[in-house]
Amino acid sequence: MLEARNVTRRFGDFVALHDTALDVGEGEFVTIVGASGCGKTTLLRLIAGLDQDYTGEITLNGQRIVGTSLERGIVFQEPRLLPWLDLWDNIAIALDNAPLSNTAKKEAVAAQIALVGLTGFERAYPSALSGGMAQRAAIARALVGHPSILLLDEPLGALDAITRMRLQEELLRIWRHEGVSMILVTHDVEEAIFLSKKIVVMDSRPGRVTANIAVDLPMPRDRSSADFGALKRKIFDALHDNAAVRLPEAEYAI
Amino acid sequence: MEKKQQLGYAVPSGVLYVPTVSAPKVVTAALSRIKTFFTGQRYVGALLPLLILGLWQASASFVWIEPVFLPAPVKVVEAFWYMLIKQDLLRDIWASVFIIAQAFAYGTLLGVGLGFAAGLSRKMELFFSGTINTIRHIPTVAWIPLVVIWLGLGAPAKIVVLAKSIFIPVFLNTLQAIRGVDHNFIELARALKLTKRQLIRRVILPAILPVVMVTLRYSVGLSWALVVVAEGISGLEGLGFLIFRAQNLLMTDQLLVCMVLIGVIGYALDRLLYLAQQRLLRWQRGFGGSYA
Repeated sequence: MLEARNVTRRFGDFVALHDTALDVGEGEFVTIVGASGCGKTTLLRLIAGLDQDYTGEITLNGQRIVGTSLERGIVFQEPRLLPWLDLWDNIAIALDNAPLSNTAKKEAVAAQIALVGLTGFERAYPSALSGGMAQRAAIARALVGHPSILLLDEPLGALDAITRMRLQEELLRIWRHEGVSMILVTHDVEEAIFLSKKIVVMDSRPGRVTANIAVDLPMPRDRSSADFGALKRKIFDALHDNAAVRLPEAEYAI
Repeated sequence: MEKKQQLGYAVPSGVLYVPTVSAPKVVTAALSRIKTFFTGQRYVGALLPLLILGLWQASASFVWIEPVFLPAPVKVVEAFWYMLIKQDLLRDIWASVFIIAQAFAYGTLLGVGLGFAAGLSRKMELFFSGTINTIRHIPTVAWIPLVVIWLGLGAPAKIVVLAKSIFIPVFLNTLQAIRGVDHNFIELARALKLTKRQLIRRVILPAILPVVMVTLRYSVGLSWALVVVAEGISGLEGLGFLIFRAQNLLMTDQLLVCMVLIGVIGYALDRLLYLAQQRLLRWQRGFGGSYA
């Protein structure tokens, strides 16, 4: 469904992303992990259409991506709610240009608020919401237009461990309920295994994909099971290999 | 206890007596307002004016200052009444308020309008900013003689000059506030596919509103002071005219009437804008002033 081929993004002489490929199937949950600077957020921004200055090709359902689109919902690292709009309006703004009747819009917003468990807070301003609630609202905003793919850029990174675990379960529930494809960028390996069907490991200098790891564990996943632990080890190794390859080079250079 | 029993019924102690016939709502509302005025913190704001008034009265009673320099408060109230009844004071007040209201409307519209034009287009900014930054340095008072030559002594000249004095800070701050809008919000607008119109209405306008409102309050205060100066320099009516006439005639009581009125009206104008600001910015949760 979503295909990225030979994608390269340069910032001057710095190669943020080199010859990168990515495949996300219909309704698939794919996670990209990697150390900071590996180009994972850059790749997500390219897919979102926020950044169009690249070579290579990114297509969604066979169509080349041009600019942003409500087809591709995005959730940023911070909730990015508009502080002057209450919760309802912050979500409804995503439907401003949707070809829907006002009643249909209202229903969609109400349904989305219910889905992320914020019913009763419709008239609350963002300053009154907790970090977890605000991020739920951001997820609702990205989903209300029923995109075919949802892009999540470390959406849980700023939350405390308990809220994060709870929202991970919420994300799974939403993913199942909406049947939408998701690409999650994270540096939390456990989060990646808990949520996704496929994990893409990236490395920096230049940013590129170094491993594609399938996650075949049954749902719901038990974070304390042996298989979970084994997979965690495998991904850590993949990340570590990335670091290990670099280290000797550095030593020779000295 | 004994008294209650003498009356033939017992009122349980600790229970407030509630009258069965309640006062009209307006009265109870007013009473509760007065009550909160004294029990809350509001009365603090009345302390300093009362102190000043007391000192003023004392200086009159004990003749610390000659009445010709500082007449007693009562004399000033009498002068106020006289001016109101005999000298058509309301017309002068209206003349001044009318000028500031119009100057405010034109200055704000032009300032916000051109501020937006420059804020949304780099080319427009380059086009305007040099000229406006030069004009900005010519004091408002320096404009009065020329504009009076063009437009005469009446209200239009003052409106033009004051509109300019409101326009400049509103323009500059609008432009600067637009430049300061969080880039993340602009990116969000792109992700949500907002049109430029929607971007302005739903993102930029609310984002710059705190700055614009403060600028409006500031510049209205400044212009209200300038109304007085302008009327003093050239004019045949208005509070500024009256205040300089009172000085020439050594009518200190009338002079003080004008001063108090200018202060009170200035306060009222600011209050009005403050209330608008509170209403428009009710989403903002900032520092409320208590820190403990």
